[in-house]
Amino acid sequence: MKNIVIGQYVPGTGFFYRMDPRTKIIAVVILMVSIFLLKTINQLLIALAIALIILLAGRISINRVFKGLKPLFVLLIFTFFFQIFFNKEGTLLLDNTLTLSISSIAATIAWTFIWRLFVKINKFKFLLLLAYIIGIYFILRFLPYGYKLTTFKFMIYQKGLEMSLFVVIRLLIIITFSTVLTLTTKPTDLTQGLEKLMRPLKIVGIRSDDFALIISISLRFIPTILDEANKIMSAQASRGADFSEGKLKDKIKQVISLLVPMFIIAFKRSEELADAMESRNFVPGKPRTRIHDLAFNGLDIISSLFIVACLAASILTRVL
Amino acid sequence: MGIQFREVSYRYPTGSINFYQAISKINLTIQEKDEFITLVGHTGSGKSTLAQHMNALIFPTSGEVEIFGSVVSQKRNKKIKYNALRKHVGLVFQFPEYQLFEETVEKDIMFGPMNFKVKHDEAEVLAKKALSLVGLDETYLKRNPFNLSGGEKKRVSIAGILALDPDILVLDEPTSGLDPAGKKQLMELFTSIQKDTGKTIIVITHDMDLVYEFASRVIVLNGGELVFDGTPEKLFHRDDLNKYCLDYPETIQVLQAVKTRFGKDINIYKKTMTEAALEIERAMKS
Repeated sequence: MKNIVIGQYVPGTGFFYRMDPRTKIIAVVILMVSIFLLKTINQLLIALAIALIILLAGRISINRVFKGLKPLFVLLIFTFFFQIFFNKEGTLLLDNTLTLSISSIAATIAWTFIWRLFVKINKFKFLLLLAYIIGIYFILRFLPYGYKLTTFKFMIYQKGLEMSLFVVIRLLIIITFSTVLTLTTKPTDLTQGLEKLMRPLKIVGIRSDDFALIISISLRFIPTILDEANKIMSAQASRGADFSEGKLKDKIKQVISLLVPMFIIAFKRSEELADAMESRNFVPGKPRTRIHDLAFNGLDIISSLFIVACLAASILTRVL
Repeated sequence: MGIQFREVSYRYPTGSINFYQAISKINLTIQEKDEFITLVGHTGSGKSTLAQHMNALIFPTSGEVEIFGSVVSQKRNKKIKYNALRKHVGLVFQFPEYQLFEETVEKDIMFGPMNFKVKHDEAEVLAKKALSLVGLDETYLKRNPFNLSGGEKKRVSIAGILALDPDILVLDEPTSGLDPAGKKQLMELFTSIQKDTGKTIIVITHDMDLVYEFASRVIVLNGGELVFDGTPEKLFHRDDLNKYCLDYPETIQVLQAVKTRFGKDINIYKKTMTEAALEIERAMKS
């Protein structure tokens, strides 16, 4: 749980760090809209190139962004295969008959066994998973011996392949942009930026400062609550609770032994926090000054121009 | 048997909230019977980390801990049932009252034994026994643990560990958050449990009065290193305790002050205030 990289701020230099959070938030939103306006894969590839150039210009290590993408690989793979399997437009590229037979089942089991052995090394897990999936394909394709349980057709259409690549690249670009935003913006700045941006919503009765406060307090309390959860888990483990093994019924009981204390602690903490804020004369909704006020600079103007150009370009691809 | 630490070091993983070398190269032997050990040291000296090594809640980053014959080292060994070790060594955490979650005291105390597959009836007997050990009567069994006072909650959670009938009982600052009378009561309770059952009890504390009065052995940690292991008498005969952010017991402080003020020949090593008063009286008369 401690290795969550999505949404983690990493201190650095680069021009992203000197930009106003408001500009960055709006830029990400506009860039996302622009990406969704694009229609062909070539345009998307150009957008991907631009995204990479932006990363390089901002001196953000691609490795870092890649790490942030890691937890989302499952989602990406899922969308990829979903598109391949269910989109049946365009010309037929691949038409195979896959067979589920005694020999292929046996080979699959053996293959799974080998794969699990390699996974234990704990390196290149993702590549291993890919190799495993491809291996299964070949097993089903070329080992139709023995008693045949069932056969099915595996077809890839041109449009399906294109669409799957299209969707995956689009997701990749969008996630990269949002990762850059959270990577280069402190949570406090981010919430302050959101607060300022949402100020006009006051007319419809949404108080942006309360909203920002809620976000910053929740962000602040994530590590604290995790720490407390670890403590309670150790305490219950000392009483023989085992959170990883056991029957479902035992597991539920053990989760309850974690949840009840967590709720009590969370409520207690929030009460203490409320008291502490009140004793420092915090009144909700009352205007407050800030130590660091946000200010736009030349960089923001340049990047805004760039963003508008991007949007204009993608609108043009639609119109032309 | 008991617990043996051999060159044990532990470093918290990078990125965690407390990232530092917690303990380094600890060598220590704890008997399984008849010891009343206090573990002292400044905040962040690694006391709690050391305690969590004693029942394999955390694994050393180097060195090894032998707990009742099972060797716990950096690598997880599939042959060892780590859960079973926790039945040998009961660890009561700081602020144990937060671990309470059941609707009755009885059920909460039974949670531990039931996890170790003890039958319901037997667990009930164990719960009763444990509750009487911590000095609460049977009327508490059916009460809601959340309606108890702070001290009572602490006792109930200690009973939750005692119900496992561990050979060694480790308590992480059990007296914090209690009033002076409550502290003393609790320490007396531990002494009586120790005497009645012959179990080894290890108490982490900052209170030197309690150390002097109750402990048979003191272990001092400083910056993650073991700097003293011996009797409290020997510890308080040293004059460099400030180096370890430790204090002297009040009796010694008072007698020392009297000694410096009046220049009398006084034996400053007295454990209780009554003894100290008698010593002052004797010295004044002479």
